[in-house]
Amino acid sequence: MKPEQVGVVVVGGGPAGLSAALNAALAGASVLLIDSNSKLGGQYWRHLPETWLEQSELHLDLDTGLLLISAVANNPKIEIWSGAEIWSATHENGATTLRLITKGVEKIITTNALVLATGAYDRTLPFPGWDIPGVMTPGGAQSLIKGHGVAAGKRVVVAGTGPFLLPVAAGLAQIGCEVVELLEANSPLRWLKSFPTLIQNLSKIGEAAHYIAIFNKFGVRPKFKRAVVAAHANKDGELESVSIAKIDSNFNIKKIDRVKCDLAAIGWGFTADTSLAGALLLKQFVTKDDGVAVSVDENQQSSIAGIFAAGEITGIGGSELSIAEGVIAGLAAAIYLGCKAEISDDHRKTKVKKHKFADALINSYPVKSGWQGWLTDETIICRCEEVKYSKLKFSVIELGATDSRTAKLLSRCGMGMCQGRICGRFLVDLVANESGISPSDISEKERISVGNRPIITPISIELLANGE
Amino acid sequence: MFTLLVKPNTSITFTFNDLEVSAIPGQSVGAALLEAGDRVLRVTRFENKPRAMFCGIGVCFDCLVVIDGAPNQRACITEAKAKMVVRTQVGGA
Repeated sequence: MKPEQVGVVVVGGGPAGLSAALNAALAGASVLLIDSNSKLGGQYWRHLPETWLEQSELHLDLDTGLLLISAVANNPKIEIWSGAEIWSATHENGATTLRLITKGVEKIITTNALVLATGAYDRTLPFPGWDIPGVMTPGGAQSLIKGHGVAAGKRVVVAGTGPFLLPVAAGLAQIGCEVVELLEANSPLRWLKSFPTLIQNLSKIGEAAHYIAIFNKFGVRPKFKRAVVAAHANKDGELESVSIAKIDSNFNIKKIDRVKCDLAAIGWGFTADTSLAGALLLKQFVTKDDGVAVSVDENQQSSIAGIFAAGEITGIGGSELSIAEGVIAGLAAAIYLGCKAEISDDHRKTKVKKHKFADALINSYPVKSGWQGWLTDETIICRCEEVKYSKLKFSVIELGATDSRTAKLLSRCGMGMCQGRICGRFLVDLVANESGISPSDISEKERISVGNRPIITPISIELLANGE
Repeated sequence: MFTLLVKPNTSITFTFNDLEVSAIPGQSVGAALLEAGDRVLRVTRFENKPRAMFCGIGVCFDCLVVIDGAPNQRACITEAKAKMVVRTQVGGA
Protein backbone atom coordinates (compact mmCIF):
# COMPACT_ATOMS: atom_id res chain seq x y z
CA MET A 1 0.00 0.00 0.00
CA LYS A 2 1.38 3.42 -0.95
CA PRO A 3 1.16 5.99 1.85
CA GLU A 4 -0.92 9.06 1.14
CA GLN A 5 1.02 12.32 1.72
CA VAL A 6 -1.01 15.01 3.48
CA GLY A 7 -0.54 18.48 5.03
CA VAL A 8 -1.19 18.95 8.74
CA VAL A 9 -2.62 15.87 10.39
CA VAL A 10 -4.53 16.41 13.64
CA VAL A 11 -5.40 13.41 15.79
CA GLY A 12 -8.38 13.91 18.10
CA GLY A 13 -11.69 15.75 17.64
CA GLY A 14 -12.11 17.30 21.09
CA PRO A 15 -11.49 20.93 22.17
CA ALA A 16 -7.73 20.82 21.42
CA GLY A 17 -7.96 18.90 18.15
CA LEU A 18 -10.82 21.00 16.75
CA SER A 19 -9.00 24.22 17.64
CA ALA A 20 -5.78 22.94 16.08
CA ALA A 21 -7.47 21.78 12.87
CA LEU A 22 -9.37 25.04 12.40
CA ASN A 23 -6.38 27.28 13.06
CA ALA A 24 -4.03 25.28 10.85
CA ALA A 25 -6.60 25.58 8.05
CA LEU A 26 -7.11 29.31 8.66
CA ALA A 27 -3.34 29.73 8.41
CA GLY A 28 -3.52 28.17 4.95
CA ALA A 29 -2.60 24.54 5.51
CA SER A 30 -4.61 21.63 4.19
CA VAL A 31 -5.66 19.55 7.17
CA LEU A 32 -6.67 15.96 7.82
CA LEU A 33 -8.52 15.53 11.13
CA ILE A 34 -8.56 11.96 12.40
CA ASP A 35 -10.96 11.13 15.24
CA SER A 36 -11.76 7.77 16.81
CA ASN A 37 -15.26 8.92 17.75
CA SER A 38 -18.12 8.67 15.29
CA LYS A 39 -18.97 12.33 15.97
CA LEU A 40 -16.71 15.35 16.50
CA GLY A 41 -16.59 17.05 19.92
CA GLY A 42 -14.49 14.66 21.97
CA GLN A 43 -15.63 13.63 25.44
CA TYR A 44 -16.19 17.22 26.58
CA TRP A 45 -18.51 18.24 23.76
CA ARG A 46 -20.16 14.86 23.32
CA HIS A 47 -23.71 15.62 22.22
CA LEU A 48 -26.96 14.08 21.07
CA PRO A 49 -28.10 14.06 17.44
CA GLU A 50 -30.10 17.14 16.41
CA THR A 51 -33.29 15.08 16.50
CA TRP A 52 -33.30 15.37 20.32
CA LEU A 53 -34.73 18.49 21.95
CA GLU A 54 -33.68 20.59 24.97
CA GLN A 55 -30.26 19.12 25.34
CA SER A 56 -28.26 22.27 25.89
CA GLU A 57 -29.03 22.43 29.62
CA LEU A 58 -26.94 19.30 30.08
CA HIS A 59 -23.82 21.17 28.98
CA LEU A 60 -22.29 24.25 30.47
CA ASP A 61 -20.54 25.15 27.26
CA LEU A 62 -21.95 23.23 24.32
CA ASP A 63 -22.47 26.39 22.23
CA THR A 64 -18.72 26.94 21.84
CA GLY A 65 -18.34 23.30 20.88
CA LEU A 66 -21.08 23.32 18.27
CA LEU A 67 -19.68 26.52 16.75
CA LEU A 68 -16.21 25.01 16.53
CA ILE A 69 -17.49 21.71 15.14
CA SER A 70 -19.50 23.54 12.49
CA ALA A 71 -16.55 25.76 11.56
CA VAL A 72 -14.31 22.70 11.18
CA ALA A 73 -16.89 20.67 9.27
CA ASN A 74 -17.57 23.52 6.84
CA ASN A 75 -13.96 24.47 6.18
CA PRO A 76 -13.02 23.28 2.68
CA LYS A 77 -9.36 22.89 3.69
CA ILE A 78 -10.22 20.31 6.38
CA GLU A 79 -10.90 16.67 5.59
CA ILE A 80 -12.43 14.68 8.47
CA TRP A 81 -12.06 10.97 9.12
CA SER A 82 -14.38 10.04 11.98
CA GLY A 83 -14.49 6.60 13.59
CA ALA A 84 -10.88 6.04 12.56
CA GLU A 85 -8.52 4.12 14.81
CA ILE A 86 -4.78 4.53 14.50
CA TRP A 87 -2.98 1.32 15.39
CA SER A 88 0.59 2.16 14.43
CA ALA A 89 2.70 5.32 14.35
CA THR A 90 6.35 5.64 13.33
CA HIS A 91 8.65 8.58 12.64
CA GLU A 92 11.53 8.49 10.18
CA ASN A 93 13.49 11.15 8.24
CA GLY A 94 11.24 13.98 9.41
CA ALA A 95 8.00 12.27 8.43
CA THR A 96 5.44 10.48 10.54
CA THR A 97 3.62 7.47 9.15
CA LEU A 98 0.25 6.53 10.63
CA ARG A 99 -1.55 3.27 9.97
CA LEU A 100 -5.22 3.31 10.71
CA ILE A 101 -8.49 1.54 10.20
CA THR A 102 -11.40 3.63 9.00
CA LYS A 103 -14.76 2.22 7.95
CA GLY A 104 -13.32 -1.28 8.03
CA VAL A 105 -10.47 -0.41 5.64
CA GLU A 106 -6.78 0.00 6.46
CA LYS A 107 -5.14 3.27 5.37
CA ILE A 108 -1.56 4.52 5.59
CA ILE A 109 -0.72 8.22 5.60
CA THR A 110 2.46 10.21 6.07
CA THR A 111 2.83 13.79 7.21
CA ASN A 112 5.57 16.27 8.09
CA ALA A 113 3.37 18.15 10.57
CA LEU A 114 1.39 16.17 13.12
CA VAL A 115 -0.71 17.51 16.01
CA LEU A 116 -1.59 15.00 18.73
CA ALA A 117 -4.69 15.88 20.74
CA THR A 118 -5.66 12.45 21.97
CA GLY A 119 -7.23 13.59 25.23
CA ALA A 120 -7.75 11.68 28.43
CA TYR A 121 -10.02 9.19 30.13
CA ASP A 122 -11.12 8.62 33.74
CA ARG A 123 -8.42 7.63 36.20
CA THR A 124 -9.61 4.59 38.12
CA LEU A 125 -8.56 2.84 41.32
CA PRO A 126 -9.40 -0.79 42.06
CA PHE A 127 -11.51 -1.76 45.08
CA PRO A 128 -13.44 -4.89 46.06
CA GLY A 129 -16.38 -5.27 43.66
CA TRP A 130 -15.37 -2.65 41.09
CA ASP A 131 -15.95 -5.23 38.36
CA ILE A 132 -19.64 -5.62 39.28
CA PRO A 133 -22.08 -4.41 36.57
CA GLY A 134 -23.36 -1.08 37.85
CA VAL A 135 -19.96 0.28 38.82
CA MET A 136 -18.83 2.73 36.15
CA THR A 137 -16.52 5.63 35.64
CA PRO A 138 -18.12 9.09 35.95
CA GLY A 139 -17.09 9.76 32.35
CA GLY A 140 -18.90 6.62 31.27
CA ALA A 141 -22.09 7.56 33.09
CA GLN A 142 -21.87 11.06 31.62
CA SER A 143 -21.22 9.88 28.06
CA LEU A 144 -24.43 7.83 28.22
CA ILE A 145 -26.36 10.96 29.14
CA LYS A 146 -24.64 13.45 26.83
CA GLY A 147 -24.28 11.16 23.84
CA HIS A 148 -27.20 8.76 24.12
CA GLY A 149 -29.82 10.27 26.44
CA VAL A 150 -29.68 7.28 28.77
CA ALA A 151 -29.45 7.17 32.57
CA ALA A 152 -27.21 4.29 33.63
CA GLY A 153 -29.16 3.71 36.88
CA LYS A 154 -31.95 4.90 39.17
CA ARG A 155 -30.34 5.20 42.63
CA VAL A 156 -26.89 6.60 42.13
CA VAL A 157 -23.74 7.15 44.17
CA VAL A 158 -21.13 9.47 42.64
CA ALA A 159 -17.71 9.32 44.30
CA GLY A 160 -13.97 9.78 43.93
CA THR A 161 -12.20 13.09 43.69
CA GLY A 162 -12.08 16.17 41.50
CA PRO A 163 -14.37 18.85 40.10
CA PHE A 164 -15.56 16.54 37.31
CA LEU A 165 -17.79 14.75 39.85
CA LEU A 166 -19.98 17.89 39.98
CA PRO A 167 -21.23 17.94 36.35
CA VAL A 168 -21.62 14.17 36.42
CA ALA A 169 -23.79 14.22 39.56
CA ALA A 170 -25.73 17.22 38.21
CA GLY A 171 -26.36 15.51 34.87
CA LEU A 172 -27.54 12.32 36.54
CA ALA A 173 -29.94 14.31 38.77
CA GLN A 174 -31.22 16.31 35.77
CA ILE A 175 -31.94 13.22 33.70
CA GLY A 176 -34.06 11.79 36.52
CA CYS A 177 -31.75 9.69 38.71
CA GLU A 178 -31.91 9.88 42.48
CA VAL A 179 -28.38 10.90 43.45
CA VAL A 180 -28.28 9.38 46.94
CA GLU A 181 -24.66 10.31 47.64
CA LEU A 182 -22.09 12.66 46.13
CA LEU A 183 -18.80 11.93 47.85
CA GLU A 184 -15.54 13.87 47.50
CA ALA A 185 -12.57 12.08 49.04
CA ASN A 186 -10.63 15.26 49.77
CA SER A 187 -11.40 18.16 52.06
CA PRO A 188 -12.52 21.44 50.44
CA LEU A 189 -10.09 23.19 52.79
CA ARG A 190 -7.27 22.09 50.52
CA TRP A 191 -8.36 24.93 48.21
CA LEU A 192 -7.13 27.46 50.81
CA LYS A 193 -3.58 26.69 49.68
CA SER A 194 -4.49 27.86 46.18
CA PHE A 195 -6.69 30.79 47.14
CA PRO A 196 -4.98 33.41 44.90
CA THR A 197 -5.33 31.12 41.86
CA LEU A 198 -8.99 30.60 42.66
CA ILE A 199 -9.57 34.36 42.80
CA GLN A 200 -7.93 34.71 39.37
CA ASN A 201 -10.36 32.15 37.98
CA LEU A 202 -13.70 33.49 39.17
CA SER A 203 -15.48 31.82 36.26
CA LYS A 204 -14.64 28.49 37.88
CA ILE A 205 -16.36 29.56 41.09
CA GLY A 206 -19.34 30.48 38.92
CA GLU A 207 -19.34 26.98 37.44
CA ALA A 208 -19.31 25.42 40.90
CA ALA A 209 -22.21 27.69 41.93
CA HIS A 210 -24.15 26.54 38.87
CA TYR A 211 -23.82 22.90 39.95
CA ILE A 212 -24.59 23.69 43.59
CA ALA A 213 -27.85 25.33 42.45
CA ILE A 214 -28.74 22.10 40.62
CA PHE A 215 -27.87 20.05 43.72
CA ASN A 216 -30.12 22.27 45.86
CA LYS A 217 -32.97 21.84 43.39
CA PHE A 218 -32.69 18.04 43.44
CA GLY A 219 -31.77 17.65 47.12
CA VAL A 220 -28.23 16.39 46.53
CA ARG A 221 -25.95 16.98 49.53
CA PRO A 222 -22.25 16.66 48.73
CA LYS A 223 -20.14 15.10 51.49
CA PHE A 224 -16.39 15.33 51.87
CA LYS A 225 -13.63 12.99 53.10
CA ARG A 226 -15.68 9.96 52.10
CA ALA A 227 -15.11 7.25 49.51
CA VAL A 228 -16.71 4.12 48.10
CA VAL A 229 -14.37 1.37 49.30
CA ALA A 230 -16.36 -1.72 48.23
CA ALA A 231 -19.27 -2.67 45.98
CA HIS A 232 -21.67 -5.55 46.57
CA ALA A 233 -23.71 -7.59 44.09
CA ASN A 234 -27.24 -9.00 44.26
CA LYS A 235 -28.05 -12.62 43.36
CA ASP A 236 -27.88 -11.78 39.64
CA GLY A 237 -24.38 -10.46 40.09
CA GLU A 238 -25.36 -6.80 39.56
CA LEU A 239 -24.76 -3.86 41.86
CA GLU A 240 -26.97 -3.78 44.98
CA SER A 241 -25.05 -1.60 47.42
CA VAL A 242 -21.73 0.06 48.18
CA SER A 243 -19.65 0.44 51.32
CA ILE A 244 -19.02 4.10 52.01
CA ALA A 245 -16.14 4.95 54.32
CA LYS A 246 -15.21 8.06 56.19
CA ILE A 247 -11.53 8.42 55.36
CA ASP A 248 -8.63 10.39 56.79
CA SER A 249 -6.44 12.74 54.75
CA ASN A 250 -4.32 9.80 53.58
CA PHE A 251 -7.46 7.85 52.48
CA ASN A 252 -7.28 5.34 55.34
CA ILE A 253 -10.69 3.97 56.35
CA LYS A 254 -12.17 5.24 59.63
CA LYS A 255 -15.80 4.06 59.60
CA ILE A 256 -17.97 2.20 57.05
CA ASP A 257 -21.68 2.42 56.15
CA ARG A 258 -23.67 0.49 53.53
CA VAL A 259 -25.80 2.39 51.01
CA LYS A 260 -28.15 0.80 48.48
CA CYS A 261 -27.71 1.87 44.86
CA ASP A 262 -27.83 0.43 41.35
CA LEU A 263 -25.18 2.72 39.86
CA ALA A 264 -21.88 3.84 41.38
CA ALA A 265 -19.94 6.32 39.23
CA ILE A 266 -16.44 6.50 40.65
CA GLY A 267 -13.41 8.31 39.30
CA TRP A 268 -10.15 9.88 40.46
CA GLY A 269 -9.40 12.56 37.91
CA PHE A 270 -8.01 11.72 34.50
CA THR A 271 -5.28 9.77 32.76
CA ALA A 272 -3.88 11.20 29.53
CA ASP A 273 -4.00 8.92 26.50
CA THR A 274 -0.31 8.97 25.61
CA SER A 275 -0.34 5.77 23.53
CA LEU A 276 0.44 7.55 20.24
CA ALA A 277 3.04 9.80 21.86
CA GLY A 278 4.70 6.72 23.37
CA ALA A 279 4.73 4.87 20.05
CA LEU A 280 6.43 7.90 18.45
CA LEU A 281 8.99 7.97 21.30
CA LEU A 282 8.15 11.58 22.20
CA LYS A 283 9.74 12.85 25.40
CA GLN A 284 7.28 12.54 28.28
CA PHE A 285 7.34 13.50 31.94
CA VAL A 286 5.63 12.51 35.17
CA THR A 287 3.11 15.07 36.41
CA LYS A 288 2.63 16.08 40.05
CA ASP A 289 -0.26 13.62 40.36
CA ASP A 290 1.95 10.75 39.09
CA GLY A 291 0.30 10.84 35.68
CA VAL A 292 2.23 11.03 32.43
CA ALA A 293 2.22 13.92 29.94
CA VAL A 294 3.98 14.85 26.71
CA SER A 295 6.77 17.46 27.00
CA VAL A 296 6.22 20.47 24.73
CA ASP A 297 7.85 23.87 24.13
CA GLU A 298 6.09 27.26 24.00
CA ASN A 299 4.77 26.39 20.51
CA GLN A 300 3.40 23.00 21.66
CA GLN A 301 6.20 21.28 19.73
CA SER A 302 7.26 17.95 21.20
CA SER A 303 10.81 16.58 21.42
CA ILE A 304 10.52 15.70 17.71
CA ALA A 305 10.43 18.63 15.26
CA GLY A 306 7.15 18.72 13.34
CA ILE A 307 5.21 16.77 15.95
CA PHE A 308 3.04 18.93 18.20
CA ALA A 309 0.85 18.03 21.18
CA ALA A 310 -2.09 19.89 22.69
CA GLY A 311 -4.77 19.48 25.32
CA GLU A 312 -4.96 16.91 28.08
CA ILE A 313 -1.96 14.88 26.85
CA THR A 314 0.36 17.74 27.79
CA GLY A 315 -1.08 17.76 31.34
CA ILE A 316 -4.68 17.57 32.51
CA GLY A 317 -6.11 21.09 32.53
CA GLY A 318 -9.63 21.25 31.11
CA SER A 319 -11.24 22.58 27.96
CA GLU A 320 -10.13 26.23 28.05
CA LEU A 321 -6.48 25.23 28.36
CA SER A 322 -7.01 22.63 25.64
CA ILE A 323 -8.46 25.23 23.27
CA ALA A 324 -5.57 27.66 23.87
CA GLU A 325 -3.02 24.89 23.31
CA GLY A 326 -4.90 23.63 20.26
CA VAL A 327 -4.87 27.07 18.65
CA ILE A 328 -1.12 27.44 19.26
CA ALA A 329 -0.36 23.91 18.05
CA GLY A 330 -2.48 24.29 14.88
CA LEU A 331 -0.82 27.57 13.96
CA ALA A 332 2.65 26.27 14.80
CA ALA A 333 2.10 23.16 12.65
CA ALA A 334 0.98 25.33 9.70
CA ILE A 335 3.96 27.64 10.17
CA TYR A 336 6.20 24.55 10.26
CA LEU A 337 4.94 23.65 6.79
CA GLY A 338 5.73 27.15 5.52
CA CYS A 339 2.39 28.93 5.99
CA LYS A 340 2.44 32.55 7.12
CA ALA A 341 0.74 33.02 10.50
CA GLU A 342 1.33 34.58 13.87
CA ILE A 343 0.60 33.13 17.28
CA SER A 344 -0.96 35.86 19.41
CA ASP A 345 0.11 36.60 22.96
CA ASP A 346 -3.48 36.19 24.16
CA HIS A 347 -3.39 32.44 23.60
CA ARG A 348 -0.06 32.19 25.38
CA LYS A 349 -1.41 34.21 28.33
CA THR A 350 -4.51 32.01 28.57
CA LYS A 351 -2.25 28.98 28.52
CA VAL A 352 -0.11 30.24 31.41
CA LYS A 353 -3.15 31.23 33.49
CA LYS A 354 -4.97 27.93 32.95
CA HIS A 355 -1.81 25.93 33.68
CA LYS A 356 -1.70 27.60 37.10
CA PHE A 357 -5.30 26.58 37.68
CA ALA A 358 -4.51 23.01 36.60
CA ASP A 359 -1.71 22.92 39.21
CA ALA A 360 -4.16 24.12 41.85
CA LEU A 361 -6.52 21.29 40.88
CA ILE A 362 -3.77 18.72 41.39
CA ASN A 363 -3.00 20.19 44.82
CA SER A 364 -6.67 20.27 45.80
CA TYR A 365 -7.66 16.78 44.63
CA PRO A 366 -4.77 14.39 45.33
CA VAL A 367 -5.07 10.61 45.33
CA LYS A 368 -3.47 9.39 48.55
CA SER A 369 -1.85 5.99 49.02
CA GLY A 370 -4.31 4.85 51.71
CA TRP A 371 -6.53 3.46 48.91
CA GLN A 372 -4.24 0.44 48.74
CA GLY A 373 -5.61 -0.56 52.15
CA TRP A 374 -9.10 -0.97 50.65
CA LEU A 375 -8.00 -4.02 48.65
CA THR A 376 -8.42 -7.63 49.72
CA ASP A 377 -6.61 -10.68 48.31
CA GLU A 378 -9.71 -11.40 46.21
CA THR A 379 -9.93 -7.93 44.65
CA ILE A 380 -9.60 -7.91 40.87
CA ILE A 381 -6.64 -5.73 39.85
CA CYS A 382 -6.66 -6.34 36.09
CA ARG A 383 -10.24 -6.43 34.85
CA CYS A 384 -9.38 -7.87 31.42
CA GLU A 385 -7.31 -10.81 32.63
CA GLU A 386 -9.21 -11.19 35.95
CA VAL A 387 -5.97 -11.03 37.95
CA LYS A 388 -6.53 -10.91 41.70
CA TYR A 389 -4.49 -8.89 44.16
CA SER A 390 -3.15 -12.13 45.71
CA LYS A 391 -1.67 -13.17 42.36
CA LEU A 392 -0.04 -9.80 41.84
CA LYS A 393 1.46 -9.97 45.34
CA PHE A 394 2.67 -13.52 44.62
CA SER A 395 4.52 -12.27 41.53
CA VAL A 396 6.32 -9.69 43.63
CA ILE A 397 6.84 -11.43 46.97
CA GLU A 398 7.38 -15.04 45.83
CA LEU A 399 8.62 -14.64 42.25
CA GLY A 400 10.72 -11.55 42.89
CA ALA A 401 9.33 -8.94 40.50
CA THR A 402 10.51 -5.46 41.50
CA ASP A 403 9.10 -3.43 38.62
CA SER A 404 5.67 -3.30 37.04
CA ARG A 405 6.81 -4.74 33.71
CA THR A 406 8.09 -7.94 35.32
CA ALA A 407 5.05 -8.14 37.58
CA LYS A 408 2.89 -7.75 34.48
CA LEU A 409 4.63 -10.61 32.67
CA LEU A 410 4.40 -12.87 35.72
CA SER A 411 0.82 -12.07 36.73
CA ARG A 412 -0.74 -11.04 33.37
CA CYS A 413 -1.86 -7.75 34.97
CA GLY A 414 -2.26 -5.29 32.09
CA MET A 415 -1.91 -7.93 29.36
CA GLY A 416 -5.55 -7.89 28.21
CA MET A 417 -7.58 -6.12 25.56
CA CYS A 418 -7.34 -2.66 27.17
CA GLN A 419 -3.52 -2.96 27.08
CA GLY A 420 -3.16 -1.68 30.64
CA ARG A 421 -5.10 1.54 30.02
CA ILE A 422 -7.20 0.89 33.13
CA CYS A 423 -4.80 -0.87 35.55
CA GLY A 424 -1.38 0.26 34.30
CA ARG A 425 -1.18 3.49 36.25
CA PHE A 426 -2.06 2.06 39.68
CA LEU A 427 -0.18 -1.18 39.00
CA VAL A 428 3.06 0.79 39.27
CA ASP A 429 2.11 1.95 42.77
CA LEU A 430 0.97 -1.48 43.93
CA VAL A 431 4.16 -3.20 42.75
CA ALA A 432 6.33 -0.50 44.34
CA ASN A 433 4.47 -0.81 47.62
CA GLU A 434 4.84 -4.61 47.68
CA SER A 435 8.54 -4.24 46.83
CA GLY A 436 9.06 -1.74 49.65
CA ILE A 437 9.81 1.12 47.24
CA SER A 438 8.43 4.48 48.36
CA PRO A 439 6.18 6.27 45.83
CA SER A 440 8.68 9.13 45.52
CA ASP A 441 11.40 6.64 44.51
CA ILE A 442 9.45 5.22 41.57
CA SER A 443 11.42 6.16 38.44
CA GLU A 444 10.03 8.38 35.69
CA LYS A 445 10.81 5.62 33.21
CA GLU A 446 8.71 3.15 35.17
CA ARG A 447 5.63 5.40 35.11
CA ILE A 448 6.10 6.49 31.48
CA SER A 449 6.65 2.97 30.12
CA VAL A 450 3.18 1.91 31.31
CA GLY A 451 1.60 3.87 28.46
CA ASN A 452 3.91 2.54 25.77
CA ARG A 453 2.11 0.20 23.38
CA PRO A 454 3.88 -0.77 20.14
CA ILE A 455 0.47 -1.65 18.71
CA ILE A 456 -1.70 1.25 19.72
CA THR A 457 -5.12 -0.38 19.64
CA PRO A 458 -6.19 -4.02 19.29
CA ILE A 459 -6.85 -4.91 15.65
CA SER A 460 -7.85 -8.10 13.93
CA ILE A 461 -5.26 -9.95 11.86
CA GLU A 462 -7.93 -10.45 9.22
CA LEU A 463 -8.39 -6.71 8.74
CA LEU A 464 -4.64 -6.29 8.25
CA ALA A 465 -4.47 -9.14 5.78
CA ASN A 466 -7.23 -7.48 3.76
CA GLY A 467 -5.41 -4.13 3.62
CA GLU A 468 -5.47 -2.18 0.35
CA MET B 1 -41.08 12.45 34.32
CA PHE B 2 -38.29 14.79 33.26
CA THR B 3 -38.66 17.30 30.48
CA LEU B 4 -34.98 17.97 30.06
CA LEU B 5 -34.71 15.62 27.14
CA VAL B 6 -37.34 15.00 24.52
CA LYS B 7 -36.61 11.85 22.61
CA PRO B 8 -37.07 11.83 18.87
CA ASN B 9 -39.96 9.60 17.85
CA THR B 10 -37.96 7.65 15.30
CA SER B 11 -36.47 4.32 16.25
CA ILE B 12 -34.82 1.28 14.76
CA THR B 13 -34.79 -2.30 16.05
CA PHE B 14 -32.12 -4.92 16.45
CA THR B 15 -31.99 -8.16 18.42
CA PHE B 16 -30.11 -9.05 21.60
CA ASN B 17 -29.97 -12.77 22.29
CA ASP B 18 -32.89 -13.18 19.85
CA LEU B 19 -35.16 -10.64 21.58
CA GLU B 20 -36.10 -7.40 19.85
CA VAL B 21 -34.61 -4.15 21.23
CA SER B 22 -35.38 -0.66 19.98
CA ALA B 23 -32.83 2.14 19.68
CA ILE B 24 -32.96 5.78 18.72
CA PRO B 25 -30.83 6.42 15.63
CA GLY B 26 -27.35 7.46 16.79
CA GLN B 27 -27.47 5.54 20.07
CA SER B 28 -24.80 2.96 20.80
CA VAL B 29 -25.67 -0.72 21.16
CA GLY B 30 -24.70 -0.50 24.84
CA ALA B 31 -26.87 2.56 25.51
CA ALA B 32 -29.92 1.02 23.80
CA LEU B 33 -29.48 -2.22 25.75
CA LEU B 34 -29.10 -0.35 29.03
CA GLU B 35 -32.31 1.56 28.30
CA ALA B 36 -34.01 -1.78 27.60
CA GLY B 37 -32.86 -3.10 30.98
CA ASP B 38 -30.04 -5.29 29.68
CA ARG B 39 -26.99 -4.17 31.57
CA VAL B 40 -24.91 -7.37 31.45
CA LEU B 41 -23.16 -7.64 28.08
CA ARG B 42 -20.62 -10.40 28.52
CA VAL B 43 -19.48 -13.20 30.81
CA THR B 44 -15.77 -13.42 31.66
CA ARG B 45 -13.75 -16.35 30.42
CA PHE B 46 -12.10 -17.48 33.66
CA GLU B 47 -14.66 -16.89 36.40
CA ASN B 48 -17.93 -16.61 34.44
CA LYS B 49 -18.60 -13.20 35.98
CA PRO B 50 -21.07 -10.78 34.40
CA ARG B 51 -19.63 -7.55 33.00
CA ALA B 52 -21.21 -4.35 31.73
CA MET B 53 -20.09 -1.02 30.34
CA PHE B 54 -17.45 0.49 32.61
CA CYS B 55 -15.57 3.35 30.92
CA GLY B 56 -18.33 4.00 28.36
CA ILE B 57 -15.92 5.55 25.86
CA GLY B 58 -14.12 2.63 24.23
CA VAL B 59 -11.08 2.46 26.51
CA CYS B 60 -11.65 -0.51 28.83
CA PHE B 61 -12.97 -3.24 26.49
CA ASP B 62 -15.30 -4.52 29.20
CA CYS B 63 -18.54 -4.18 27.19
CA LEU B 64 -17.61 -6.71 24.51
CA VAL B 65 -20.48 -8.30 22.60
CA VAL B 66 -20.85 -10.42 19.47
CA ILE B 67 -22.35 -8.38 16.62
CA ASP B 68 -23.47 -10.13 13.43
CA GLY B 69 -21.17 -13.00 14.33
CA ALA B 70 -18.08 -10.87 15.00
CA PRO B 71 -16.85 -11.12 18.63
CA ASN B 72 -15.03 -8.45 20.69
CA GLN B 73 -17.16 -5.52 19.52
CA ARG B 74 -17.34 -2.65 22.01
CA ALA B 75 -21.04 -2.05 22.72
CA CYS B 76 -20.32 1.44 24.10
CA ILE B 77 -18.94 2.87 20.84
CA THR B 78 -20.73 0.77 18.23
CA GLU B 79 -23.75 2.57 16.82
CA ALA B 80 -26.93 0.49 16.83
CA LYS B 81 -28.15 -0.28 13.32
CA ALA B 82 -31.43 -1.80 12.18
CA LYS B 83 -31.45 -5.61 12.03
CA MET B 84 -28.14 -6.01 13.86
CA VAL B 85 -27.87 -9.37 15.58
CA VAL B 86 -26.23 -8.81 18.96
CA ARG B 87 -25.33 -11.54 21.44
CA THR B 88 -23.83 -11.76 24.90
CA GLN B 89 -20.14 -12.60 24.61
CA VAL B 90 -19.31 -15.67 26.68
CA GLY B 91 -15.59 -16.09 27.33
CA GLY B 92 -13.44 -14.98 24.38
CA ALA B 93 -11.36 -11.81 24.28
